Amino acid sequence: MVVITTKKPEEEVFEALNNYKVKNVLVVSCGVCAALCQTGGTEGAEEWSEKLKERGFNVINTIVSDDVCDNRVMKKDLRKIDDDVKEADAILTLSCGLGVQSIIEVLTKTHPEIPVFTANNTEFIGMTERIGRFYMRCQGCGNCLLNETGGICPITTCAKALMNGPCGGMVDGKCEVGDYEKDCGWILIYNRLKELGRLDLFSKLRDPLDWSKIGHQREVVWR
Amino acid sequence: MTEVKAYSKLGEALAKGEFILTGELEPEKTTDLSHTIHEAKEMAPYVIAANVTDSPLGIVTINSMAATHLIQKATGLECVWQMTVRDVNKLGIAGMIMGAHALGIRNVLSLTGDHTALGDMPESKPVFDLDSATLVKLVREMVDKGTINGNEIEAPPTLHVGAAANPNADPMGAEILKIGRKAEAGCEFIQTQVVYDLDRTIEFLSEIKKYKVPVLLGIFPMKSYGMAKGFDTFVPGVSVPKDILAKWKSVKKEVTDKKQQKELYDQYNYEFFKPFITELRKKDLLAGIHCMAVHYPRIFPKLKDIIEN
Repeated sequence: MVVITTKKPEEEVFEALNNYKVKNVLVVSCGVCAALCQTGGTEGAEEWSEKLKERGFNVINTIVSDDVCDNRVMKKDLRKIDDDVKEADAILTLSCGLGVQSIIEVLTKTHPEIPVFTANNTEFIGMTERIGRFYMRCQGCGNCLLNETGGICPITTCAKALMNGPCGGMVDGKCEVGDYEKDCGWILIYNRLKELGRLDLFSKLRDPLDWSKIGHQREVVWR
Repeated sequence: MTEVKAYSKLGEALAKGEFILTGELEPEKTTDLSHTIHEAKEMAPYVIAANVTDSPLGIVTINSMAATHLIQKATGLECVWQMTVRDVNKLGIAGMIMGAHALGIRNVLSLTGDHTALGDMPESKPVFDLDSATLVKLVREMVDKGTINGNEIEAPPTLHVGAAANPNADPMGAEILKIGRKAEAGCEFIQTQVVYDLDRTIEFLSEIKKYKVPVLLGIFPMKSYGMAKGFDTFVPGVSVPKDILAKWKSVKKEVTDKKQQKELYDQYNYEFFKPFITELRKKDLLAGIHCMAVHYPRIFPKLKDIIEN
């Protein structure tokens, strides 16, 4: 599983830094998901370090961390460079949105005054075909239907996330969204269940998703 | 024998097994419904009810519930309120169903709705909390049980709920099973997408007959060559037969008198749809016709003639 990220336009990032009158920047780059997406990793850290310098910022340090989103790892990594953290006006993360919030969480007590920025947009939880080809196949809806739909997720593959598709926007197995270039998720499900000899599952009338369970501030806490 | 409840003229005619004709009205991006009301008045003597569309193609128009109410009030023509699940969540829709009843609306057509991305406000959040089948189920719970999520409604609504079907869908098997879900949810009538292919229509209607839901066949008489050509080019999944296009083109090219042109288009529509509909009626596959040709009310006397003779 990879959290897929893309680069924000550079100007948007510089604008955010300038709005805070930032001079000294610490760069924290993700060595896992963002590295795979080429929005972080060692190369991303070097690239941003250069860009920041060109724009007159002072880059205090750049680190690449294996799990920016893991509070424990971040705590350990940032403690090692505490002098750099103290000197920074801001931290720029090359990671997904989790990375930003993980760093803020970790620094809440020791350095609450340091703003943390991201250079990326977080797109989705993705499946990797190969580098540069990532596809949204799960939205983490908390109510996995894959056992009933032949292993194809209607919430992600149907543009309307319908529980009872296909809709009238399907033409020759393609979806109305995106000019009939993408497959209709419900036809993928139909064909798959047909192959499996389980069209009875396709015929089933399904209730809407239960948003009382999935709609807000979700957490998994079991100890 | 179970007593069939009818809350509307449409519901009553369907229960009696009368062969019916419905029309379609497409309010626009306006607060002034005078054009639509004029059209409604023109078709009123010929149809049992007219659908009122809900921002088709995702292009925002006046709200369909408000329009339905106002058209009914101004003309006395019964309407089928088209409600898509695109723009409102389950809670909002449940409230609208009660509101619709209070405004005198007695028929609703449950639709998914074209995606917001297709329309003129593509930045809008697409809702799709329900889908066209679960909206049918919700209406039936509210009407038959007088509850929403098991909670009692003080004065429950009484509306008939219909759904759409697409005989042109490919693969057809998926569409047929989907109609099965809508039937299971309690849909009381079906209005189909526009058809031109008789063999395919017979195959489709024969397949869905087992669900025992009355079907109103969607037809689109073409008021001009431009309309026919546009329909063929721009409506995905529907092709106008080539010989029809050629015939309509010949009217445009060869007939200069506008009045004569109109008469010919009307006549050709009559000649195409009469045997088409007659054949399907002979096979006992239809409960009626749903004419989706908006802004073409002058065709209705001819359609009425097809139905009655």
